[in-house]
Amino acid sequence: MTYTLVKCYSPYISKMDPCPPMLKKCFSTPPNLYIPFQPYNSEQFPTAREALYKGTLWTCLYDPYPLKREENLE
Amino acid sequence: MTHQKTLPDSYYQLMEQIQQVDFVLVELTLYLDTHPDDLDAINQFNQAAYESRQLKNTFEKQFGPLMQFGQSFSNYPWDWKEAPWPWQV
Repeated sequence: MTYTLVKCYSPYISKMDPCPPMLKKCFSTPPNLYIPFQPYNSEQFPTAREALYKGTLWTCLYDPYPLKREENLE
Repeated sequence: MTHQKTLPDSYYQLMEQIQQVDFVLVELTLYLDTHPDDLDAINQFNQAAYESRQLKNTFEKQFGPLMQFGQSFSNYPWDWKEAPWPWQV
């Protein structure tokens, strides 16, 4: 996997900001952004149950959404 | 107070199996929309469709109709409005 599922940036903080500054903001970049066209017979999850619990039938499109609250707050 | 119909565990197990197969069908439908000539996926789709129908038949024999307007057979008496409804399960 050559891409990351989460990307972050640090917004500009002005001294005029009335509220406590947000040092880092992150957003989710799921795999489908990096796969222009889904390849033929790409690998699937072995069982339907696992596909249902993972939210996709295709392993290459699986995204655990690692974006946690604290990741945004740092 | 009317008698509350308690659901056996098999209700939930069967329901989850139906959910699993139907999810595979959703994924394959979306995949086949963009890959119409993928024979393996079509075979898998037909297999899953058959399996889904089987599961729904066994479910409906025990717990009553899942769908209406002729999608499911009816028991006697007409009982599709009986509890539990999907959000009450």
